[in-house]
This record gives sequence, C-alpha cells and structure tokens, in this order.
Amino acid sequence: MILELTWSTKASNQMVGGGVIQQILRRKLQSQSVATPVLSWFSSKKAHVDAGSSGVRAFALLGAGVTGLLSFSTVASADEAEHGLACPDYPWPHDGILSSYDHASIRRGHQVYQQVCASCHSMSLISYRDLVGVAYTEEEAKAMAAEIEVVDGPNDEGEMFTRPGKLSDRLPQPYANESAARFANGGAYPPDLSLITKARHNGQNYVFALLTGYRDPPAGISIREGLHYNPYFPGGAIAMPKMLNDEAVEYEDGVPATEAQMGKDVVSFLSWAAEPEMEERKLMGFKWIFLLSLALLQAAYYRRLKWSVLKSRKLVLDVVN
Amino acid sequence: MNGLLSLNRKHIFLADDEVVDPKKYLEESCNPKCVKPLLEYQACVKRIQGDDSGHKHCTGQYFDYWQCIDKCVAPKLFTKLK
Repeated sequence: MILELTWSTKASNQMVGGGVIQQILRRKLQSQSVATPVLSWFSSKKAHVDAGSSGVRAFALLGAGVTGLLSFSTVASADEAEHGLACPDYPWPHDGILSSYDHASIRRGHQVYQQVCASCHSMSLISYRDLVGVAYTEEEAKAMAAEIEVVDGPNDEGEMFTRPGKLSDRLPQPYANESAARFANGGAYPPDLSLITKARHNGQNYVFALLTGYRDPPAGISIREGLHYNPYFPGGAIAMPKMLNDEAVEYEDGVPATEAQMGKDVVSFLSWAAEPEMEERKLMGFKWIFLLSLALLQAAYYRRLKWSVLKSRKLVLDVVN
Repeated sequence: MNGLLSLNRKHIFLADDEVVDPKKYLEESCNPKCVKPLLEYQACVKRIQGDDSGHKHCTGQYFDYWQCIDKCVAPKLFTKLK
C-alpha cells in the first residue's frame, strides 16, 4: 500500500518536474529495498540457528575474505616493477593526422639496426625491396642485398647452393632457429623486430624508453648475473645489455650519433617496418572522412526532406455536438 | 652507493668534438623540478640501509622520481635531435 502511494506521487512529480522531491522519494524507495533483504537474512538466520553450521560458515567466509585481502596487499607492493615504469609520450614527427615519416630518420635507423641490432634480432618480414623508395634508392638497396649470402635451390642436380642476395630476399636472420637464438643468449629469445612497435603496448614510446632507459637499479634491488636492470621492462630484469652508446655508429649524413639520436632513428625505422602503409592510410583516412561527412550532411538533408511530409501532419478533431 | 646520484659524467662540454647526449643533459637539468620525489627516494634508501633480509627496496620512490624526470624531459628531447 505504501509502495503504491510513493509510485503515484512520483509519477505526478515527474510531470511537474520536481527534481528534489524525486530524489527524496528515490531515497525512500532505496532504503525500503535495502531493508527487505537485510530483514530476510535475519529471518533466515533464525531459521537455521538450530543447525549451528551457519555461524561456522559465516566465520569461515570472513576468514577467507581477510586472507584474500591481506595476500592482495602484499602482491600489490610487487606490482610496480611487475608492469614496468610507465613510459612517457614522446612527440614523434609522424604523430599528426597528416604527418608522414621522417625518411632520413628511417634511413639512419636502418643503419643502426644493421650495425647494432641485427647480430641478435631478426626482421624476417622485411625484404630489401621494401626499403626502395623509403630509405634507399634501388641501386643502393641492390648493393646492400648483394652483400649477403642466401641459400637457394635445389638446382638441376638436386643440390642447395648459395648465391648473393637480391632485392626480393628477406633481411638475413642472425640465428637458424629459436633454439639457437636462446642458446646464444643465455636462454632468452631476442624477438623478431618486424612488428615490435605494434606488438607492445604504446610500442614506439616503450621501445625508445627501453633502449635509452638503462639505469642503476634502485636501492634494495639486485639483478642476477647475466641480466641487466631496466625500469621500463616488466619485472625490471632484461637479458639484453645496453646497446646504444654514444657514437657506436657513424651516420652517413654526419648527424651526431648520440644515444638519444640513435634511439629516435631506430624507433622511426621500426615504426615504419611495422606500419609501412601509414602514410597512405592517413591520406586515405583524411580523404574519406571528409567525403563521408559531406555525404552525411546530404543524407541527413534528404531524410528530413522525405520525412517532412509525415512529421508535419496535423490531427483535426471534428466533433459534432 | 646511491645509484641515482652516480650519473655518468663523461659527457661534459670538454672539447668541441665531444658529443653530449641530449637525454642525459635534459635529465640533469630537470633534476631541480623533481626534488621532492628525489628526497623521498633518498629517505627510503636511508631507511632500508641496515636491512639484510633482501625484501626491502625503494622501487616505488625510484619510479616516482623517474616518472617526474621523464615527464619533464619528453616534450623537450626531440627538439634537440635531428
């Protein structure tokens, strides 16, 4: 009975638009709805009090809850190093909606990859021909490809043979397989870098922060022999040592090869490798979003035009007295 | 001793052909902005100095300090690079 009354007053108030009264009524309703389950719990407890097990069950549940809470708090303290230090957002030159890659940076980045990283990391999805028009001319790319030896075959005699590389060949792999890679690197597998900036959360910023972020560990943290401390790496202990050191590479274009410069260039190269279609995608996106917006305006106008007939209907009550 | 303060000083402005890593330079210049987390870290180091259990560490304060430095360095770094 009481509930019915509150519903009807609420309905009338909605028509009036009394916001405050609505809130008070809602609170009354809520308190009533909360009260009923509590009352039912008490009544059920009274019903089961003779069994005696409900009290033990409640106590056990409480104990489990407390243990869970305590264990969660101790685990939470390990969470920071577990996820790694969050990397900052760097203002990459290719970030804007119509910004292209810095191709000079991609060229330098490929040089860094080749001289510093390729000894351990493969990039097995990139071919020499992909570099043409992006970082190198066709002649330069052909010359680079010709420097490597590629296993080909079988020939007419059924034998495999080696030949100098061509544009169509993939970038060379440092190890024959994952097991060989792990064996040469203390059990750790240097991942393939073809898609690394897409394969890690906030990939570009993460890779840059990681490469340039090797520091001394905080007090109380010791890293075992064979691993190195890097706060950005989840867990903090990474198998890769610091590879980017000032002037490790001599750039062809004379840019000073500081650690940060090499990091920026190599991440530009890796970003291109993971998303070579980016420039075309941005152009297409801009064009089609613009055209579709115009189409939306046209469609909205046309819909309203056609519906205007129905929306401007009027009802006439013709009552004869 | 204190890992944070042992910044490698091999990139000082000595000769003209000496390269200075812009990131290290900016991290040092951002130090005054992040004094509070640095002091918190140093206080933590002092607190755990006598500890031999191996369970105590200052990762939290270390992260807070470096997050402050990173936030300061990140917008400016690329202007110093080609």
